[in-house]
This record gives sequence, C-alpha cells and structure tokens, in this order.
Amino acid sequence: MSREVTYRVGLIGPEDLVARHPALRREITVQVHDLDADPWPVDAALRWVGREVPRVDGEAKVTGAARYTYDVHPHGLAFAGVLGSPHAHARVVAVDDAAARAVPGVLAVRTFAGRRVTYAGQIVAAVCAENPRALDDALAALRVEFEPLPAAVTTEDALAPDAPRVEPGRTEGNLHAPPEPGNRAAVDEAFAAAPVRVAAEYRTSVQTHSCLEPHGCVAQVHPDGTATVWASTQATSFFARGRFSRELGVPEARVRTLTEHMGGGFGSKFGALEWDVIAAGFARETGRPVQLMLPRRLEHLLGGNRPDSIQRLELAGTADGVFLGLKGETFGTAGNGPGGAGAANHSVYRIPALWMRQSEVATFTARGAAFRAPRHPQGFFALESLIDLYAARLGADPLEVRRRNDPHPVRQAQWELGAERFGWAAARARRDAGPLRRGAGCAAARWLNAGRPPWQVDLTVRADAGVLVANAAQDIGTGMKTVLAAVVAEELGIEPGRVQVRLGDTRDPAGPGSGGSTTTASLAPAAREAALRAREALAARLAEHWGVPAAEVRSPAGGFEGPEGRRASFAEACRLIGDEEVRVQGTRRPNWAGPFGETAGCQFAEVEVDTETGVVRVLRVVAVHDAGRVLNPLTARSQVNGGVLQGISYALYEEKRLDRALGDMVNPTLDTYRILGLADCPRVEVLLTSLEAGFNNCGAMGLGEPATVPTAAAVANAVFHALGVQVRELPMTPARVLAALEEAPR
Amino acid sequence: MKAFRFLRPRTLAEASEALRREPGAVPKAGGVDLLDRWKERVEEPEVVVGLCDVTDGAALRLEEDGALVLGALATLADLAGSDLVRRFLPALARAADQAASPQIRHRATLGGNLAQATRCGYWRLRSFPCLLRGASRCPVREPGGVQETAGIFANDPCASAHPSSVAPVLGALGAEILVGGGPEGGRGLAFEALWRAPEPGRSDVLALEPGELIRAVRIPPSAHPVRVGHAEVRQRAAFDWPLVTAAVGLTLDADRIREARVWLGSVAPTPHRARAAEAALTGRRLAEVRATFDGRAAAEGATPLPGTAYKAGLVAVAARRALADALERS
Ligand SMILES: Cc1cc2nc3c(=O)[nH]c(=O)nc-3n(C[C@H](O)[C@H](O)[C@H](O)COP(=O)(O)OP(=O)(O)OC[C@H]3O[C@@H](n4cnc5c(N)ncnc54)[C@H](O)[C@@H]3O)c2cc1C
Repeated sequence: MSREVTYRVGLIGPEDLVARHPALRREITVQVHDLDADPWPVDAALRWVGREVPRVDGEAKVTGAARYTYDVHPHGLAFAGVLGSPHAHARVVAVDDAAARAVPGVLAVRTFAGRRVTYAGQIVAAVCAENPRALDDALAALRVEFEPLPAAVTTEDALAPDAPRVEPGRTEGNLHAPPEPGNRAAVDEAFAAAPVRVAAEYRTSVQTHSCLEPHGCVAQVHPDGTATVWASTQATSFFARGRFSRELGVPEARVRTLTEHMGGGFGSKFGALEWDVIAAGFARETGRPVQLMLPRRLEHLLGGNRPDSIQRLELAGTADGVFLGLKGETFGTAGNGPGGAGAANHSVYRIPALWMRQSEVATFTARGAAFRAPRHPQGFFALESLIDLYAARLGADPLEVRRRNDPHPVRQAQWELGAERFGWAAARARRDAGPLRRGAGCAAARWLNAGRPPWQVDLTVRADAGVLVANAAQDIGTGMKTVLAAVVAEELGIEPGRVQVRLGDTRDPAGPGSGGSTTTASLAPAAREAALRAREALAARLAEHWGVPAAEVRSPAGGFEGPEGRRASFAEACRLIGDEEVRVQGTRRPNWAGPFGETAGCQFAEVEVDTETGVVRVLRVVAVHDAGRVLNPLTARSQVNGGVLQGISYALYEEKRLDRALGDMVNPTLDTYRILGLADCPRVEVLLTSLEAGFNNCGAMGLGEPATVPTAAAVANAVFHALGVQVRELPMTPARVLAALEEAPR
Repeated sequence: MKAFRFLRPRTLAEASEALRREPGAVPKAGGVDLLDRWKERVEEPEVVVGLCDVTDGAALRLEEDGALVLGALATLADLAGSDLVRRFLPALARAADQAASPQIRHRATLGGNLAQATRCGYWRLRSFPCLLRGASRCPVREPGGVQETAGIFANDPCASAHPSSVAPVLGALGAEILVGGGPEGGRGLAFEALWRAPEPGRSDVLALEPGELIRAVRIPPSAHPVRVGHAEVRQRAAFDWPLVTAAVGLTLDADRIREARVWLGSVAPTPHRARAAEAALTGRRLAEVRATFDGRAAAEGATPLPGTAYKAGLVAVAARRALADALERS
C-alpha cells in the first residue's frame, strides 16, 4: 500500500537565510501511499509551483464579470428580508402583519410572536416579496409589540451579581468558567521566587467580520424535486445540510449548492444560518427562487463577530530576560453563543510555570463566530504587550527578550531576517522631541495546520489537451483556483493557462470548509495526485498506441517517452483520447509527521503617534511568515497583506459600539464602524520563508490566519515604544491614547 | 426607502417654486446624505425636488467687487479643483479636498454639505429613540450612551454634532449665505443664521423659510489682508468625518489682528463659533499670538459628556494648529 521515501525538507528560501541556517534543512523518511505522488524535495526545480502565477479569475473580478451570490437573479426571483429586534432582551408579545401583507407584491410573511429575544437584531419577522421595494415597504409596515426585559450587554454588566441571565435557570449566572487549573500553588511558588514580575490588564473590543458581500443565499426549488442554492458561504459542500434542506423540502442529496465567487467570509460563513433557513422556507412556500441577503446593519449585528476580552496577566522572569511563569485570568463574551473565552496563546514561548483560566461570559448580544485566527489576535495583543512591559522593566531590547525565550528554530531565523529588513536597531534608537513620535514594535505569530484528508479532486482531460480540475470547495478569495491550476500544471508539465479549475459546485466531489487555514493544504495534494493519475492514464494510452508495455512509457516533464526514441508531447498524447475523456480522481492522503509542524511568523511595525491628538498612524510593517512550501508567492503575499491590514484595522479602528442601556449597535454602517481604508494603509513588506514542511506531497501549510495574528500586538508595542506608556485597550482610538498619556507618570 | 414623487426642475427659481408649491417637499442635491436617511426611513418625504438638472447652481465666480460667489450645487471636488478657489481661498480648497473620499467629493455638493444632518447614530437609526425624532430625552446623554463623537457645546438637550469640515472654513472666511431663488430673488444671511438650534421633535437643521434654498455662498471682499487657516483631527485619513475641525480667519492691520473669526466643526449641533478664542486673538500682534495662543480659549464654554471629555482638548489643539496654518500659509 505504501512506499518509503527519503527526501530533504526544510527552508527553501530566501537563499541567504538558508546559507545562514543549515540546521533548517534535514532529511526525513516518510511512508507515501502507493497512489500518491512523491513529495518534492526542498531543492526541487519546479516550473510553476512557487512562481508568481497571476490569479486566474483576476480579470473577472476587476471587470465586474465575476458573479457573486448577490448577482444571481434567476427568472422569477423573489426577494426576502428579515426584521430584527431593537431590544437586547424582550418578549415578542404580538406581531401585527396585516399592513405588511396588504403591501402589493408581498408573497409571504413569517412572524415569531412569543419568542424571547436575547439580542438586538434577533429576527422577529420575515417577508418575501415580488421586488425589493415591496419587501422594504412590508418590513417597514410590520408592527411588533415588545415587552422589554432587563438586559446586560457588556461583560462587566453581565457579571454583576444581580445581572439578568441569558439562560434564565442557570445557577452560575452568565459566567461560564472552566474548572480552576490545579497547579495554582506550584505556579504561585514560581512567581514568589521570581526576581521580576509584571502585571497588567488588557482589553479588546468586539470586531465584526464586515464582509463586503453580506451573508445570504438564493434558493430555488425545481418542479422535479431538486433544488439549486447559490450561497455566499465558506462551506459550499455542507451548506444545505440539516434544517436548510428540511425547510426547502428537498433532501440534501438533491440540492445543488453553488458558490461561484465569494465576497469575504473570515470565519463567519460556515453553513446555513437562521435567515438562510427562512429563505429556504420561502422558496418552498412560494415556489419561486428567493434571494435573501442581509442588509449592512444586520450584517454587523448578526453576521458574527470576534468576541471582546478582558485579560489580566502576570508574567514572571529573571533579571536577564528568561520567562519563568505566566498567570492569566481572562473573560470574553461571544454574546449568546460560546467561544468568547478571552484568549490563550501562551504557546509561542517557553514558559515553565503556567496558570491560565479563561472564562466565557454570556451577554445579551448576538453570537460571535470564528474570525480569522479565533482568539489569537486578542491573546497575542495581551501577552506580547506584557512581554514588552517586562523588557522595559529590564531595560532590555524586547526583540532580544523574545529571542531568548523562543524555541522555534524557524522563527529564530525570521526574527533575524525581519529585524534586518525592518532596520530594528535604528528604529528603536529613534527619539522624537516634537508632538509626533515614532515607535517600533514587534510580535510573534504561530499556526498549526497542514490541511487534512479525506477530500477527492476530480480531473478531466480532453482530446484538445484541455484540463478541468473540480472540487466543491469554494475559493473564498484566497486564490485557490490559481494555486490548484499551478499544481496540476506542474505535474502535467503544461502551462497553468491550460488548466481550468471549477470550485464551489456540489456536483463535484465534496471539499472542506474554508477554516483553520486548511483549504489549500487540503486540496492541493489531492489535485497533484489527480494530475499524476492523468499522466499515468495518458501513458497507458500511449503504450497501447505504440504497442509497448505500459511500464516502458515514462513521462518526464511536459511529455512522454517510450522505447526506441518514441516521444509524444502532452497535447499529442491527449489526441489519443478521441471523443472520450480521461476522468481521474486524486485523494487527499493523511499527513505525514513532518518536522516543521508549527508554522512561524513575526511582524514588525513602525507607527507615528500624534501625542496632542492621540491619532496613531502605522507607517510600515514588515511581515515574515512561513506557510510550508509557498505554492504561489503572489497569492500568499496577498493573504499576508490582507492579514496585516485587517490587524491594523483591529488595532486602531474597529469596534462594535453598543448603547449599554439599550443594547443596540449605534455604528452599524461602514462609515461609522471604522475600517482601515486605503489612505491609512502603510507600506507592507512581506517576506515569505518558504519551507518544505514534510506533511504532504506539496509541502503546503496554512497562511490565511497567522498573517493577522501578531499585527495588533506589533502595532501596540510600537505605540508603547513611541509614547513610553501602553495603551491597553483595542482599538487604540484617540480618546484612549490621550487617556493613557494623561495617566502616564511624567 | 418609501416611494416619493420626484420633481426635476431646470433652474433654482423653478426649484424654489416647486418647494413652495409642495409643502414638505425636500430638496435633493448629491443625495450622499439623504439617501442613507431615506433608506433607513428616518425620513419619508412624499415629494423630492431633485436638483440634478438645475443648470444655474454650480458656478464659482469672482464678482466685480472682488467677492467670490460659490454656487450651492458646486461639488466638493469642484471646490478643491477650481483654480479660482485654490488661488483666492486655498484653505477652503484644502478642506474640500480632505473631506470624505474622491468618489463622495464628486457627488457631494457645497449646499448639501452645509445642510447635512448629524452623524449621530441614534438619530440616523430608526430603532433608537431620539429627542429630535420625538423621544423625551437624548439617549446619548444618558449613562449608557455612546458619546465619542457627540457635541461638547450647546449639547443640552441634544448632543448631536454638525459634522461639516467645510463650514468652519467658510465661517472663518466671513462667508454669507445667499438663500432664496424665487422670482423675487434671494436674500443674504449671516453665516451663523443659516442654522437653527435643535428642538425636540424637529429634525431639520436649517433656518430657512418654506421654499427657500441655499443658492450660493458669498465670500465678501476685504479691504484688509486676510489670513485663513484650518486644521482637522481625523482618526482615519479618508472616508470619515474629522473628530474636530477648527478654522481661524484673521483680518490684519499690518501685524495686528483687527478681527478674528474662529469656527469649529463636529462639536455642536451647528457649526460653532468660538467667540472666546476670537476675543483672545483680536487686537493682538501676530508675533505675540504665535508665541502664546494655546487654543484653550476655543474650548471655553464646553460642557463635555464623560465620553467626550477628550474632545475639549482636541478643540484646543485644532484651534492652535489652525492659527499656525493661517500664519504660515497665506
Ligand atoms: C463616508 C463619508 C465621509 C464624509 N466625510 C466628510 C468630511 O470629511 N467633511 C465633510 O464636511 N463632509 C463629509 N461627508 C459629508 C458629505 O460631504 C455630505 O454628505 C455631502 O456634502 C452632502 O451633499 P449632497 O449634495 O449629497 O447633499 P444631499 O444628501 O442631497 O442633501 C443633504 C441635505 O442638504 C439639503 N440640501 C441640499 N442642497 C440644498 C440646498 N441647495 N439648499 C438647501 N438645502 C439643501 C437636503 O435637503 C438635505 O437635507 C462625508 C460623507 C460620507 C458618506
């Protein structure tokens, strides 16, 4: 079933770094499945993989030709929408929908009278209408009678002893605390003996995903008992599961789900959510295709969010910069749902004595959702800030302190590379006299993911040498199509332009949801195996054609060779296919135990703070990341750029603002919910330490999430360096910066 | 958005006539502000008078007496790009150029900018109570209120803030407003007379008579040298309103300040005139104010809420910087 393959893995580039760190390359032996392709060794000469192949759908996107769920308008389309509660906690006493039903063009109305709503925006009624105008009029005509109930929308309010409870019967109130870790005494002892201790409380705010394309779908039930759904989802293969297909009245197996293009997900779009299920019900009820896309306000309220956090941390260390222990008590709220447990992320550094309790707090706010590296940006902000506080206490270089405690060999090389490119020493030496102060900071990133089985990728070759690669997974904007085209082109020895990639259609084999930064590393190896199968199939046809044993046909890059000088190009071999097609499949095999299992990264930021106004601008960022083997530097850099920009936005601007008494969001628009814009973008330099990681036949690992993990922390540390005082709450708004400066000892 | 009847007059005179004829009709210029209000159904006009086809409202002219007349339908991009404005009113050109984003500046008109409504989220979202929309109290002022961008002057009973960053510069330039447009012509209004103080249950911000429109803004000529500077505190560099805007206009007698005009934006329900700062500057020598003016006089009379305490400091900084800009530039 398998063969043993010994090959060299490790750092592929940049070259000078490889020369300086010979230990980052080594030989390993793995058990390769018989049907799988041999992994590429670290020094493999590859033609397309690792090259900057432009996005295959770039033109469609920039010209507007790309079709998003919003753009799908099947004949006879009806429009649906929902009405959200303005109260954070209330009973829906009655919904009077008579006026709404009377609006010309209204097809159906659903109401949720009797429902106890536990967050603002929670759906209390829904309408389906002939056109958007009738829909809007009908939603406005709904009269809902609420009995408002007391609510608590902040973590602190929800923890008050007399706070109203999200789950009424729960004796522990709104606090969901895990059992106390048992090693408290030992850790306290380590702290008591430690020469240096620093403690601080850090806070982060709720960040909404703010996908440009809001959540939603178009659902259509066909007379033959099948259904088609176009969904803005990062899990096309599973969208129609469960309640959704039940409401649709069509078994999941007969529902075709499509995601041609995706306008952002960031973790918030796994599976059908409540409004999607409502759309499915309307589609069945009206017999019409129905589109339901959330308007921006509800997108902010219901579309998911990164929970906030309160993190009380204490770090103990030696006088010369070695960490001895970390204690932490954190609280976070993901509203009604789970997942708000502050943050962890003590895992980058060597920390011998660790005590950490992370509690979730239920509040009367809409549920959180996975958001690009759940918990990490907030956790790294706190811990990396505390490390800088410790370094400042010692009068030590915070970069040196990190390097002393960082066991990861790749990140050690990255710190070195990043510091050099950034000009760390010079940036740290700078002291400004005027009101504009510059500062430099850094922080680490980590991630752990090499993709996973068991996905299948279909590959079809036709006589005209056209290749089609297909899987139901969605390209949520990362460039998956482009990467798969390059991997297949590499294996077949043809140009990527010859390879068409079809993603986001459940007629093709199921694919993974885009989560955990796993999609590329999950599918690329299967695509490569499929291409290998295609090569073998073509070789077999040639053998038959040439009348030689199959074993005697070899396929070096870009063609085929047989005995006695016989040769055929890929195109010539394809001609033998005739009217048929060659259809093969590749499988994602289980990961091997590669030696570079945890991806590493670090970022450096320089900021300028106006000490009179509190306005922070990020001037430049150097981001160093490992993503296993970088399959396409262009799309990889684009991931890092996006992660960095989203991280800066988190550090400086983004905050879901709720009225504490009324519980509703006062900034649910894209002008009042501030997001980093073009004019605020710094120069971002991305350095990729490509690394054959040894887990799969492509060497690929994940990148989308780690790219945003350290940014806010690096920016916060740069602000600390600029001001000499920490701003301990994100986002670092002018008000917070000025308050921190005011409290600073002068 | 509720459906409305849409009228499309060709001239300002026709537009005012339409407004007079149709009580409750609303003039729409670029629609940058209005469309959001309508979509949210904060306002549901029955009749809208579109100014998109009006051909006599966008001119930027230098009059014979040296006055500059800026048509209300000129866009912010027109102002920023006009040679006339850049030459004679550079601070205005810069303010227009820093507002919003390129796309918005090509759509947003001068008249609409002055008449724009507050950005207060409570007013702009129908689901929130708001004093101006009939609630008994202003929730921004209550303990749970989100206050960061609220007003710090004249903020009782309504804590809204007029967000224009262009208005303060016009105030500092000593601008007057030409309103009217009917066949009988128009009238001139002192700059501050354009706005009304907020009243419970009333959302309109302008003190115009029924049927009146802003026709133009007139910058009168000055017999004395004038220096104008402006400064904004912006959290984001674009696609946003400043947290605070300050503009300073100085009329000079040699090196002495004959008259000072200090205007602030985003701090009160209407553009706010900082009279104490004007008094602190008037009659002083330039060298003296350059050395001593710390801007704090501009914040005199502020009554910040807990969440806006920081804005009083920003006002002082912005006023000081606006003065430095005035002294440095012109
Ligand atoms: C993201 C964003 C950022 C922005 N940033 C800034 C900024 O930095 N600085 C700044 O100053 N502004 C800023 N703005 C506001 C923008 O400049 C105004 O919304 C715009 O100027 C309004 O002009 P309009 O022609 O579109 O007005 P409309 O939306 O058409 O009208 C606005 C109001 O003015 C009234 N009105 C329009 N014309 C007249 C007239 N001739 N006579 C009487 N009433 C009239 C209307 O009835 C309505 O009440 C920003 C807007 C956005 C969306």
